[in-house]
Amino acid sequence: MEIKKYKVVSSTNLLAKKLRPEPWLVILAEKQTAGHGKKSSHWFSPKGGLYFSIVLPKSKIEDLQTLTILAAFIVAKTIKDNFFLEPLIKLPNDVLLDKKKICGILTENIIGASTCSAPTLSRVERVGKEVKSSVIGIGLNTNVDKFPKELEEKATSLKLKLGRKVDNEKILKQIVEGLAEQLKTISE
Amino acid sequence: MKLRLDIKGKEYEIEMLEEGEDRLKIKVGEKEFSFGKEEKEKIAVAKTTFPKRSFSKKEIGAPIAGIISEIFVKEGELVEKDQKVLILSAMKMENEIVSECSGKVKEILVKKDQEIKEGDILIVLV
Repeated sequence: MEIKKYKVVSSTNLLAKKLRPEPWLVILAEKQTAGHGKKSSHWFSPKGGLYFSIVLPKSKIEDLQTLTILAAFIVAKTIKDNFFLEPLIKLPNDVLLDKKKICGILTENIIGASTCSAPTLSRVERVGKEVKSSVIGIGLNTNVDKFPKELEEKATSLKLKLGRKVDNEKILKQIVEGLAEQLKTISE
Repeated sequence: MKLRLDIKGKEYEIEMLEEGEDRLKIKVGEKEFSFGKEEKEKIAVAKTTFPKRSFSKKEIGAPIAGIISEIFVKEGELVEKDQKVLILSAMKMENEIVSECSGKVKEILVKKDQEIKEGDILIVLV
């Protein structure tokens, strides 16, 4: 597993999309200045949390959709197995602890989706869907000490729950390995 | 392994079971979802119907069902190959749709926040 570490980035997903590196490279940041979820919603990303993006190999869009859902299960399993906590998965893929958000997941794809000729294929086959690149970004509140007032009731961290620091790299490794295993299974 | 799951505010207890090396079964209450090699057995997250429409030579279609979250082009604008034309949100995926061909935008058939089905034509180029 190759990890590219950064002190500060705007967003690990943005950087991964820009760099377009080899599949399974992990972009890891100590801090994000513009961490975001779906529809550009802000993800509070101070130092201490675990913020990373994984460049995914070229896969079918249906497999990426399944993988995105499974990512929440993998994160919840990692929390449960390591810390004996009871996370709640909020579909499609948020993970909550004590009804507060602890993890957000966002997959971003670049898809070529047009038909530029007059083929004799069926309509379903004619709509292009070439996945050119994919990246899955995960923000997990691990060692976050404090949240801004407006987030105090909505977000929590493993450190706040356990009262101690957790090993970010160990958690990262387990999640990436879990995702690789699942993608292999569903795309075979 | 058992986990708790929130679906639209209602809690379910789910169970993940492995069925050999290449299969994973998820039990939600009495329902079972199986992940494996066969397409038909996967969770049907993008099941769609396809409306009958005429199909011109250069059209940008929806590769997946979802909601249009952003449109980057306007009618009359020239589009290059590989240019980002819109963002389609589906589940927790943000899909940047790029044009596979160059041309002039003749018609934009969708609006921001519009729900679309897989196969719907979004933009027509000439």
